[in-house]
Amino acid sequence: MSMADDILVDMQNVDKYFGANKILDNVDFTVKRGEVVVLIGPSGSGKTTLLRCINHLETIEHGRIMVNGKMIGYREIGGKLIEDRERNIAVQRRDVGMVFQRFNLFANMNVLRNIAISPQLVRKAAKQEALAQARALLKRVGLAEKEEAYPSELSGGQQQRVAIARALAMNPAILLFDEPTSALDPEMVGEVLAVMREIAQSGMTMVVVTHEMGFARQVADRVVVMAQGRIIEQGPPDQIFGAPSHPVTQRLLGAVLH
Amino acid sequence: MHFDWSYFWAQLLTPSSAFLVGLGLTVAMAVSAEIIGVVLGLLFAQLRLSRRRSLRAIASLYIWAVRGTPLLVQIVFIYTGLAAAGIMHFSDFTLAGITIPGNLQAGILALGLHEGAYMAEIFRAGIMAVDKGQTEAAKALGMPPLMLMRHVVLPQALRVILLPIGNQFNILLKNTTLVSVIGVSEMLLVTETINSATFRTFELYAVLGIYFLILTSAWSLFMGWVEKRLQLGRKSKIVRIQAVAAEAES
Repeated sequence: MSMADDILVDMQNVDKYFGANKILDNVDFTVKRGEVVVLIGPSGSGKTTLLRCINHLETIEHGRIMVNGKMIGYREIGGKLIEDRERNIAVQRRDVGMVFQRFNLFANMNVLRNIAISPQLVRKAAKQEALAQARALLKRVGLAEKEEAYPSELSGGQQQRVAIARALAMNPAILLFDEPTSALDPEMVGEVLAVMREIAQSGMTMVVVTHEMGFARQVADRVVVMAQGRIIEQGPPDQIFGAPSHPVTQRLLGAVLH
Repeated sequence: MHFDWSYFWAQLLTPSSAFLVGLGLTVAMAVSAEIIGVVLGLLFAQLRLSRRRSLRAIASLYIWAVRGTPLLVQIVFIYTGLAAAGIMHFSDFTLAGITIPGNLQAGILALGLHEGAYMAEIFRAGIMAVDKGQTEAAKALGMPPLMLMRHVVLPQALRVILLPIGNQFNILLKNTTLVSVIGVSEMLLVTETINSATFRTFELYAVLGIYFLILTSAWSLFMGWVEKRLQLGRKSKIVRIQAVAAEAES
Protein backbone atom coordinates (compact mmCIF):
# COMPACT_ATOMS: atom_id res chain seq x y z
CA MET A 1 0.00 0.00 0.00
CA SER A 2 1.39 3.39 -0.95
CA MET A 3 1.49 6.38 1.36
CA ALA A 4 -1.45 8.04 -0.43
CA ASP A 5 -3.65 4.96 0.01
CA ASP A 6 -2.79 4.99 3.64
CA ILE A 7 -4.34 8.39 4.26
CA LEU A 8 -8.11 8.25 4.64
CA VAL A 9 -8.86 11.85 5.58
CA ASP A 10 -6.73 14.70 4.36
CA MET A 11 -7.76 18.21 5.32
CA GLN A 12 -5.68 21.08 4.00
CA ASN A 13 -5.85 24.76 4.98
CA VAL A 14 -9.50 24.58 6.02
CA ASP A 15 -11.26 27.76 7.13
CA LYS A 16 -14.81 27.72 8.41
CA TYR A 17 -16.92 30.68 9.46
CA PHE A 18 -20.27 31.02 11.22
CA GLY A 19 -21.16 34.54 10.18
CA ALA A 20 -18.18 36.67 11.14
CA ASN A 21 -16.82 34.10 13.62
CA LYS A 22 -13.91 32.04 12.40
CA ILE A 23 -14.56 28.55 13.74
CA LEU A 24 -11.78 26.71 11.92
CA ASP A 25 -8.62 28.64 11.22
CA ASN A 26 -6.31 27.19 8.57
CA VAL A 27 -6.62 23.62 9.83
CA ASP A 28 -4.52 20.76 8.45
CA PHE A 29 -5.66 17.38 9.68
CA THR A 30 -5.04 13.86 8.44
CA VAL A 31 -6.23 10.44 9.50
CA LYS A 32 -4.48 7.26 8.46
CA ARG A 33 -6.28 4.03 7.72
CA GLY A 34 -6.81 2.05 10.95
CA GLU A 35 -5.91 4.98 13.15
CA VAL A 36 -7.93 6.04 16.20
CA VAL A 37 -7.72 9.81 16.62
CA VAL A 38 -9.23 11.54 19.64
CA LEU A 39 -9.99 15.26 19.41
CA ILE A 40 -10.00 17.21 22.66
CA GLY A 41 -10.14 20.88 23.51
CA PRO A 42 -12.10 23.45 25.47
CA SER A 43 -15.72 23.99 24.40
CA GLY A 44 -16.01 26.25 21.40
CA SER A 45 -12.59 25.21 20.12
CA GLY A 46 -13.99 23.83 16.85
CA LYS A 47 -13.66 20.05 17.44
CA THR A 48 -17.24 19.19 16.56
CA THR A 49 -17.18 21.50 13.54
CA LEU A 50 -13.99 19.89 12.28
CA LEU A 51 -15.61 16.46 12.62
CA ARG A 52 -18.76 17.58 10.80
CA CYS A 53 -16.70 18.91 7.89
CA ILE A 54 -15.36 15.41 7.21
CA ASN A 55 -18.77 14.25 5.97
CA HIS A 56 -19.79 17.68 4.74
CA LEU A 57 -22.50 18.32 7.31
CA GLU A 58 -20.79 21.71 7.36
CA THR A 59 -19.64 23.76 4.39
CA ILE A 60 -16.16 25.25 4.40
CA GLU A 61 -15.01 28.64 3.20
CA HIS A 62 -11.46 27.75 2.26
CA GLY A 63 -9.21 24.75 1.78
CA ARG A 64 -10.08 21.23 0.74
CA ILE A 65 -10.97 17.93 2.34
CA MET A 66 -10.17 14.60 0.72
CA VAL A 67 -11.87 11.47 2.03
CA ASN A 68 -10.73 8.13 0.64
CA GLY A 69 -8.86 9.93 -2.13
CA LYS A 70 -11.83 12.01 -3.31
CA MET A 71 -12.72 15.57 -2.48
CA ILE A 72 -15.88 15.74 -0.37
CA GLY A 73 -18.59 18.34 -0.78
CA TYR A 74 -17.05 20.25 -3.66
CA ARG A 75 -16.06 19.97 -7.28
CA GLU A 76 -13.24 21.93 -8.79
CA ILE A 77 -14.34 23.86 -11.85
CA GLY A 78 -11.80 26.19 -13.48
CA GLY A 79 -9.72 26.44 -10.32
CA LYS A 80 -12.79 27.30 -8.22
CA LEU A 81 -14.52 25.08 -5.69
CA ILE A 82 -18.25 24.72 -6.31
CA GLU A 83 -20.47 22.91 -3.81
CA ASP A 84 -21.39 19.50 -5.18
CA ARG A 85 -24.94 18.23 -5.74
CA GLU A 86 -26.60 16.69 -2.67
CA ARG A 87 -26.97 13.40 -4.52
CA ASN A 88 -23.23 13.15 -5.17
CA ILE A 89 -22.37 14.10 -1.61
CA ALA A 90 -24.75 11.38 -0.41
CA VAL A 91 -22.79 8.77 -2.35
CA GLN A 92 -19.55 9.83 -0.61
CA ARG A 93 -21.18 9.83 2.81
CA ARG A 94 -21.97 6.12 2.54
CA ASP A 95 -18.41 5.33 3.55
CA VAL A 96 -18.24 7.80 6.43
CA GLY A 97 -20.25 6.68 9.45
CA MET A 98 -21.27 9.12 12.14
CA VAL A 99 -22.45 8.79 15.73
CA PHE A 100 -24.11 11.88 17.18
CA GLN A 101 -24.20 13.32 20.65
CA ARG A 102 -28.01 13.11 20.69
CA PHE A 103 -28.17 9.64 19.05
CA ASN A 104 -30.67 10.76 16.37
CA LEU A 105 -32.22 7.34 15.91
CA PHE A 106 -35.15 7.50 13.49
CA ALA A 107 -38.14 7.99 15.79
CA ASN A 108 -40.60 6.43 13.33
CA MET A 109 -38.82 3.08 13.10
CA ASN A 110 -38.05 0.27 15.49
CA VAL A 111 -34.47 -0.63 16.35
CA LEU A 112 -34.07 -3.31 13.71
CA ARG A 113 -35.43 -1.06 10.96
CA ASN A 114 -33.19 1.79 12.11
CA ILE A 115 -30.17 -0.40 11.45
CA ALA A 116 -31.35 -2.21 8.33
CA ILE A 117 -32.87 0.67 6.40
CA SER A 118 -29.72 2.25 5.00
CA PRO A 119 -28.06 -0.97 3.80
CA GLN A 120 -31.39 -1.86 2.21
CA LEU A 121 -32.19 1.46 0.56
CA VAL A 122 -28.78 3.01 0.03
CA ARG A 123 -26.61 -0.06 -0.57
CA LYS A 124 -29.47 -1.99 -2.19
CA ALA A 125 -28.85 -5.03 0.00
CA ALA A 126 -31.47 -7.78 -0.04
CA LYS A 127 -33.97 -7.41 2.79
CA GLN A 128 -33.19 -10.72 4.50
CA GLU A 129 -29.49 -10.00 4.28
CA ALA A 130 -29.91 -6.52 5.76
CA LEU A 131 -32.03 -7.86 8.61
CA ALA A 132 -29.58 -10.67 9.37
CA GLN A 133 -26.72 -8.18 9.47
CA ALA A 134 -28.76 -5.83 11.68
CA ARG A 135 -29.42 -8.67 14.14
CA ALA A 136 -25.74 -9.58 14.20
CA LEU A 137 -24.79 -5.97 14.91
CA LEU A 138 -27.40 -5.69 17.65
CA LYS A 139 -25.87 -8.74 19.26
CA ARG A 140 -22.42 -7.18 18.94
CA VAL A 141 -23.56 -4.08 20.88
CA GLY A 142 -25.37 -6.27 23.41
CA LEU A 143 -28.97 -5.41 22.51
CA ALA A 144 -30.18 -8.52 20.70
CA GLU A 145 -33.40 -8.57 22.73
CA LYS A 146 -34.37 -4.99 21.77
CA GLU A 147 -34.89 -5.35 18.04
CA GLU A 148 -38.61 -4.50 18.15
CA ALA A 149 -38.31 -1.61 20.58
CA TYR A 150 -38.77 1.97 19.44
CA PRO A 151 -36.06 4.53 20.27
CA SER A 152 -38.29 6.29 22.80
CA GLU A 153 -38.48 3.07 24.82
CA LEU A 154 -34.70 2.79 25.23
CA SER A 155 -32.30 4.41 27.69
CA GLY A 156 -29.75 6.89 26.36
CA GLY A 157 -26.96 4.35 26.53
CA GLN A 158 -29.02 1.77 24.65
CA GLN A 159 -29.97 4.33 22.00
CA GLN A 160 -26.35 5.26 21.49
CA ARG A 161 -25.34 1.61 21.12
CA VAL A 162 -28.07 1.17 18.49
CA ALA A 163 -26.79 4.30 16.76
CA ILE A 164 -23.31 2.78 16.64
CA ALA A 165 -24.75 -0.42 15.18
CA ARG A 166 -26.64 1.64 12.61
CA ALA A 167 -23.46 3.40 11.53
CA LEU A 168 -21.56 0.09 11.33
CA ALA A 169 -24.28 -1.44 9.17
CA MET A 170 -23.10 0.65 6.21
CA ASN A 171 -19.61 -0.90 6.48
CA PRO A 172 -17.99 2.52 6.56
CA ALA A 173 -14.30 3.11 5.95
CA ILE A 174 -14.25 5.49 8.91
CA LEU A 175 -16.45 6.22 11.91
CA LEU A 176 -16.86 9.72 13.33
CA PHE A 177 -18.03 10.13 16.93
CA ASP A 178 -19.35 13.54 18.01
CA GLU A 179 -19.24 13.60 21.83
CA PRO A 180 -21.02 10.24 21.97
CA THR A 181 -21.28 10.12 25.77
CA SER A 182 -21.95 13.79 26.58
CA ALA A 183 -25.73 13.44 26.59
CA LEU A 184 -25.71 10.31 28.76
CA ASP A 185 -26.36 9.82 32.43
CA PRO A 186 -23.04 8.96 34.11
CA GLU A 187 -23.97 5.32 34.76
CA MET A 188 -24.46 4.74 31.01
CA VAL A 189 -21.18 6.16 29.80
CA GLY A 190 -19.29 2.94 30.44
CA GLU A 191 -21.45 0.69 28.28
CA VAL A 192 -21.03 3.01 25.28
CA LEU A 193 -17.29 3.41 25.75
CA ALA A 194 -16.95 -0.37 26.00
CA VAL A 195 -18.59 -0.79 22.60
CA MET A 196 -16.37 1.94 21.12
CA ARG A 197 -13.29 0.26 22.57
CA GLU A 198 -14.27 -3.05 21.00
CA ILE A 199 -14.77 -1.38 17.60
CA ALA A 200 -11.39 0.35 17.85
CA GLN A 201 -9.76 -2.98 18.60
CA SER A 202 -11.41 -4.47 15.51
CA GLY A 203 -9.27 -2.12 13.42
CA MET A 204 -11.87 0.48 12.49
CA THR A 205 -10.58 3.94 11.60
CA MET A 206 -12.11 6.35 14.10
CA VAL A 207 -12.16 10.06 14.86
CA VAL A 208 -13.64 10.73 18.28
CA VAL A 209 -14.55 14.08 19.81
CA THR A 210 -14.85 13.51 23.54
CA HIS A 211 -14.25 14.77 27.03
CA GLU A 212 -13.55 11.22 28.26
CA MET A 213 -9.83 11.51 28.92
CA GLY A 214 -9.57 7.94 30.20
CA PHE A 215 -10.85 6.68 26.85
CA ALA A 216 -8.47 8.99 24.97
CA ARG A 217 -5.55 7.76 27.00
CA GLN A 218 -6.29 4.06 26.59
CA VAL A 219 -7.71 3.81 23.09
CA ALA A 220 -6.28 6.67 21.01
CA ASP A 221 -3.33 6.20 18.70
CA ARG A 222 -3.07 9.96 18.51
CA VAL A 223 -4.58 12.80 20.54
CA VAL A 224 -5.23 16.11 18.82
CA VAL A 225 -5.76 19.23 20.94
CA MET A 226 -7.72 22.16 19.55
CA ALA A 227 -8.19 25.70 20.78
CA GLN A 228 -9.81 28.67 19.06
CA GLY A 229 -10.22 26.88 15.75
CA ARG A 230 -6.63 25.69 15.51
CA ILE A 231 -4.81 22.46 16.22
CA ILE A 232 -2.36 23.51 18.91
CA GLU A 233 -0.78 20.22 19.75
CA GLN A 234 -0.93 16.55 18.79
CA GLY A 235 0.84 13.31 19.50
CA PRO A 236 0.54 9.89 21.12
CA PRO A 237 -1.53 9.89 24.34
CA ASP A 238 1.51 9.28 26.54
CA GLN A 239 3.09 12.46 25.27
CA ILE A 240 -0.06 14.62 25.44
CA PHE A 241 -1.12 13.39 28.87
CA GLY A 242 2.38 12.89 30.24
CA ALA A 243 4.09 16.03 29.05
CA PRO A 244 1.68 18.51 27.47
CA SER A 245 3.66 21.36 25.94
CA HIS A 246 0.96 23.94 25.25
CA PRO A 247 -0.41 25.96 28.20
CA VAL A 248 -4.01 25.44 26.99
CA THR A 249 -3.48 21.68 27.05
CA GLN A 250 -1.93 21.88 30.50
CA ARG A 251 -4.89 23.88 31.76
CA LEU A 252 -7.40 21.59 30.02
CA LEU A 253 -5.91 18.40 31.41
CA GLY A 254 -5.37 19.98 34.80
CA ALA A 255 -9.03 20.90 34.97
CA VAL A 256 -10.08 17.40 33.99
CA LEU A 257 -7.56 15.32 35.88
CA HIS A 258 -7.48 17.14 39.19
CA MET B 1 -92.71 34.45 7.58
CA HIS B 2 -93.75 31.37 5.75
CA PHE B 3 -91.59 28.23 5.72
CA ASP B 4 -92.97 25.45 3.56
CA TRP B 5 -92.01 22.37 5.59
CA SER B 6 -93.33 19.82 3.13
CA TYR B 7 -91.31 21.41 0.30
CA PHE B 8 -88.25 21.52 2.56
CA TRP B 9 -88.50 17.84 3.52
CA ALA B 10 -89.13 16.80 -0.05
CA GLN B 11 -86.03 18.64 -1.25
CA LEU B 12 -83.94 17.32 1.62
CA LEU B 13 -84.98 13.68 1.48
CA THR B 14 -85.74 13.25 -2.21
CA PRO B 15 -83.49 15.71 -4.01
CA SER B 16 -83.73 16.08 -7.75
CA SER B 17 -81.31 14.16 -9.89
CA ALA B 18 -79.73 17.47 -10.98
CA PHE B 19 -79.00 18.23 -7.34
CA LEU B 20 -77.45 14.79 -6.81
CA VAL B 21 -75.24 15.30 -9.85
CA GLY B 22 -74.27 18.66 -8.31
CA LEU B 23 -73.42 16.88 -5.05
CA GLY B 24 -71.26 14.41 -6.95
CA LEU B 25 -69.50 17.27 -8.74
CA THR B 26 -68.84 19.08 -5.46
CA VAL B 27 -67.20 16.00 -3.96
CA ALA B 28 -65.33 15.12 -7.17
CA MET B 29 -63.96 18.65 -7.52
CA ALA B 30 -62.86 18.80 -3.90
CA VAL B 31 -61.12 15.43 -4.06
CA SER B 32 -59.39 16.13 -7.39
CA ALA B 33 -58.30 19.58 -6.27
CA GLU B 34 -57.01 18.12 -3.00
CA ILE B 35 -54.88 15.58 -4.86
CA ILE B 36 -53.45 18.33 -7.09
CA GLY B 37 -52.97 20.48 -4.00
CA VAL B 38 -51.06 17.80 -2.08
CA VAL B 39 -48.74 17.13 -5.03
CA LEU B 40 -48.11 20.85 -5.61
CA GLY B 41 -47.79 21.45 -1.89
CA LEU B 42 -45.11 18.78 -1.50
CA LEU B 43 -43.26 20.11 -4.51
CA PHE B 44 -43.37 23.76 -3.49
CA ALA B 45 -42.53 23.01 0.15
CA GLN B 46 -39.36 21.31 -1.14
CA LEU B 47 -38.58 24.30 -3.34
CA ARG B 48 -39.07 26.71 -0.47
CA LEU B 49 -36.64 24.69 1.63
CA SER B 50 -34.16 24.32 -1.22
CA ARG B 51 -30.64 25.62 -0.77
CA ARG B 52 -30.90 27.30 -4.20
CA ARG B 53 -32.14 30.85 -4.01
CA SER B 54 -33.80 30.79 -7.46
CA LEU B 55 -35.96 27.79 -6.53
CA ARG B 56 -36.93 29.37 -3.23
CA ALA B 57 -37.90 32.55 -5.10
CA ILE B 58 -40.16 30.67 -7.53
CA ALA B 59 -41.98 28.95 -4.67
CA SER B 60 -42.34 32.15 -2.67
CA LEU B 61 -43.76 33.96 -5.70
CA TYR B 62 -46.39 31.26 -6.28
CA ILE B 63 -47.44 31.14 -2.63
CA TRP B 64 -47.50 34.93 -2.38
CA ALA B 65 -49.61 35.37 -5.53
CA VAL B 66 -52.12 32.65 -4.68
CA ARG B 67 -52.58 33.57 -1.03
CA GLY B 68 -52.76 37.26 -1.82
CA THR B 69 -55.63 37.15 -4.32
CA PRO B 70 -59.25 35.99 -3.94
CA LEU B 71 -60.03 32.47 -5.08
CA LEU B 72 -63.01 33.82 -7.02
CA VAL B 73 -60.69 36.06 -9.02
CA GLN B 74 -58.32 33.13 -9.66
CA ILE B 75 -61.17 30.98 -10.99
CA VAL B 76 -62.40 33.64 -13.43
CA PHE B 77 -58.85 34.52 -14.41
CA ILE B 78 -57.96 30.92 -15.27
CA TYR B 79 -61.14 30.06 -17.14
CA THR B 80 -62.26 33.30 -18.74
CA GLY B 81 -59.12 35.42 -18.55
CA LEU B 82 -56.72 32.95 -20.12
CA ALA B 83 -59.22 32.17 -22.88
CA ALA B 84 -59.80 35.86 -23.61
CA ALA B 85 -56.06 36.39 -23.92
CA GLY B 86 -55.83 33.38 -26.25
CA ILE B 87 -53.35 31.69 -23.92
CA MET B 88 -55.41 28.69 -22.88
CA HIS B 89 -58.90 27.70 -23.91
CA PHE B 90 -60.37 24.94 -21.78
CA SER B 91 -62.44 22.70 -24.06
CA ASP B 92 -64.48 19.59 -23.27
CA PHE B 93 -62.47 16.44 -23.00
CA THR B 94 -63.73 12.87 -23.14
CA LEU B 95 -61.99 10.07 -21.30
CA ALA B 96 -63.35 6.54 -21.21
CA GLY B 97 -66.83 7.70 -22.17
CA ILE B 98 -67.00 10.43 -19.53
CA THR B 99 -66.95 13.99 -20.79
CA ILE B 100 -65.21 16.50 -18.56
CA PRO B 101 -66.41 19.98 -19.54
CA GLY B 102 -63.84 22.76 -19.98
CA ASN B 103 -65.21 24.86 -17.16
CA LEU B 104 -64.97 21.90 -14.77
CA GLN B 105 -61.32 21.35 -15.76
CA ALA B 106 -60.58 25.03 -15.18
CA GLY B 107 -62.42 24.93 -11.86
CA ILE B 108 -60.48 21.92 -10.61
CA LEU B 109 -57.21 23.45 -11.77
CA ALA B 110 -57.95 26.76 -10.03
CA LEU B 111 -58.97 25.03 -6.80
CA GLY B 112 -55.92 22.75 -7.00
CA LEU B 113 -53.49 25.64 -7.55
CA HIS B 114 -55.10 27.50 -4.68
CA GLU B 115 -54.95 24.48 -2.42
CA GLY B 116 -51.33 23.84 -3.40
CA ALA B 117 -50.17 27.17 -2.02
CA TYR B 118 -51.75 26.52 1.38
CA MET B 119 -50.53 22.91 1.39
CA ALA B 120 -46.98 24.10 0.64
CA GLU B 121 -47.00 26.19 3.80
CA ILE B 122 -48.48 23.34 5.86
CA PHE B 123 -45.92 20.84 4.57
CA ARG B 124 -43.10 23.30 5.10
CA ALA B 125 -44.13 23.84 8.71
CA GLY B 126 -44.42 20.07 9.22
CA ILE B 127 -41.03 19.36 7.70
CA MET B 128 -39.42 22.09 9.80
CA ALA B 129 -41.01 20.65 12.95
CA VAL B 130 -39.05 17.40 12.54
CA ASP B 131 -35.87 17.45 14.61
CA LYS B 132 -32.88 18.48 12.52
CA GLY B 133 -30.89 15.59 13.98
CA GLN B 134 -33.14 13.16 12.10
CA THR B 135 -32.16 14.71 8.77
CA GLU B 136 -28.49 14.84 9.70
CA ALA B 137 -28.46 11.18 10.71
CA ALA B 138 -30.11 10.20 7.42
CA LYS B 139 -27.64 12.33 5.45
CA ALA B 140 -24.71 10.83 7.34
CA LEU B 141 -25.91 7.38 6.31
CA GLY B 142 -25.77 8.41 2.66
CA MET B 143 -29.46 8.89 2.01
CA PRO B 144 -30.11 11.23 -0.94
CA PRO B 145 -32.67 14.03 -0.39
CA LEU B 146 -35.79 12.32 -1.75
CA MET B 147 -35.19 9.07 0.13
CA LEU B 148 -34.56 10.95 3.34
CA MET B 149 -37.76 12.95 2.86
CA ARG B 150 -39.88 9.90 2.12
CA HIS B 151 -38.63 7.50 4.77
CA VAL B 152 -37.53 9.72 7.63
CA VAL B 153 -38.95 13.24 7.52
CA LEU B 154 -42.45 12.98 6.01
CA PRO B 155 -43.61 10.06 8.21
CA GLN B 156 -42.69 12.14 11.25
CA ALA B 157 -44.10 15.38 9.80
CA LEU B 158 -47.41 13.63 9.17
CA ARG B 159 -48.48 13.89 12.80
CA VAL B 160 -48.00 17.64 12.72
CA ILE B 161 -49.60 18.31 9.35
CA LEU B 162 -52.61 16.03 9.55
CA LEU B 163 -54.85 18.43 11.45
CA PRO B 164 -54.20 21.51 9.29
CA ILE B 165 -54.61 19.42 6.13
CA GLY B 166 -57.98 18.26 7.43
CA ASN B 167 -59.04 21.84 8.09
CA GLN B 168 -57.88 22.90 4.65
CA PHE B 169 -59.98 20.20 2.98
CA ASN B 170 -63.00 21.35 4.97
CA ILE B 171 -62.50 24.85 3.54
CA LEU B 172 -61.96 23.43 0.07
CA LEU B 173 -65.27 21.52 0.20
CA LYS B 174 -67.09 24.78 0.82
CA ASN B 175 -64.99 26.77 -1.67
CA THR B 176 -66.19 24.55 -4.51
CA THR B 177 -69.34 26.72 -4.57
CA LEU B 178 -67.24 29.52 -6.08
CA VAL B 179 -66.81 27.50 -9.26
CA SER B 180 -70.51 28.14 -9.96
CA VAL B 181 -69.39 31.51 -11.29
CA ILE B 182 -67.94 29.86 -14.41
CA GLY B 183 -71.06 27.74 -14.86
CA VAL B 184 -70.14 24.41 -13.27
CA SER B 185 -73.42 22.87 -12.09
CA GLU B 186 -72.32 21.99 -8.59
CA MET B 187 -74.81 22.11 -5.71
CA LEU B 188 -75.00 25.91 -5.41
CA LEU B 189 -75.66 26.53 -9.10
CA VAL B 190 -78.28 23.75 -9.21
CA THR B 191 -79.97 25.32 -6.19
CA GLU B 192 -79.93 28.72 -7.86
CA THR B 193 -81.47 27.25 -10.99
CA ILE B 194 -84.27 25.54 -9.08
CA ASN B 195 -84.79 28.74 -7.09
CA SER B 196 -85.22 30.86 -10.18
CA ALA B 197 -88.14 28.63 -11.21
CA THR B 198 -89.76 28.17 -7.78
CA PHE B 199 -88.68 31.16 -5.63
CA ARG B 200 -88.55 28.88 -2.56
CA THR B 201 -85.27 30.57 -1.63
CA PHE B 202 -85.40 30.01 2.13
CA GLU B 203 -86.19 26.31 1.93
CA LEU B 204 -83.78 25.61 -0.92
CA TYR B 205 -80.80 27.31 0.68
CA ALA B 206 -81.55 25.64 4.01
CA VAL B 207 -81.37 22.29 2.23
CA LEU B 208 -78.15 23.31 0.50
CA GLY B 209 -76.63 24.31 3.84
CA ILE B 210 -77.64 21.00 5.40
CA TYR B 211 -75.99 19.05 2.58
CA PHE B 212 -72.76 20.95 3.18
CA LEU B 213 -73.06 20.27 6.90
CA ILE B 214 -73.38 16.57 6.16
CA LEU B 215 -70.27 16.63 3.95
CA THR B 216 -68.12 18.60 6.40
CA SER B 217 -69.33 16.59 9.40
CA ALA B 218 -68.57 13.29 7.67
CA TRP B 219 -65.10 14.63 6.92
CA SER B 220 -64.57 15.69 10.54
CA LEU B 221 -65.57 12.24 11.79
CA PHE B 222 -63.18 10.63 9.33
CA MET B 223 -60.31 12.89 10.43
CA GLY B 224 -61.07 12.14 14.07
CA TRP B 225 -60.83 8.45 13.32
CA VAL B 226 -57.51 8.84 11.44
CA GLU B 227 -56.04 10.87 14.27
CA LYS B 228 -57.07 8.33 16.84
CA ARG B 229 -55.39 5.61 14.85
CA LEU B 230 -52.16 7.59 14.67
CA GLN B 231 -52.28 8.20 18.42
CA LEU B 232 -52.79 4.49 18.92
CA GLY B 233 -49.87 3.74 16.65
CA ARG B 234 -47.70 5.78 18.96
CA LYS B 235 -48.88 4.21 22.18
CA SER B 236 -50.45 0.81 21.77
CA LYS B 237 -48.27 -2.22 21.38
CA ILE B 238 -50.98 -4.18 19.59
CA VAL B 239 -51.10 -1.82 16.65
CA ARG B 240 -47.32 -1.76 16.51
CA ILE B 241 -47.03 -5.53 16.52
CA GLN B 242 -49.54 -5.61 13.68
CA ALA B 243 -47.39 -3.10 11.83
CA VAL B 244 -44.28 -5.22 12.40
CA ALA B 245 -46.12 -8.31 11.19
CA ALA B 246 -47.32 -6.50 8.07
CA GLU B 247 -43.78 -5.28 7.50
CA ALA B 248 -42.41 -8.83 7.78
CA GLU B 249 -44.93 -10.05 5.22
CA SER B 250 -44.11 -7.39 2.67
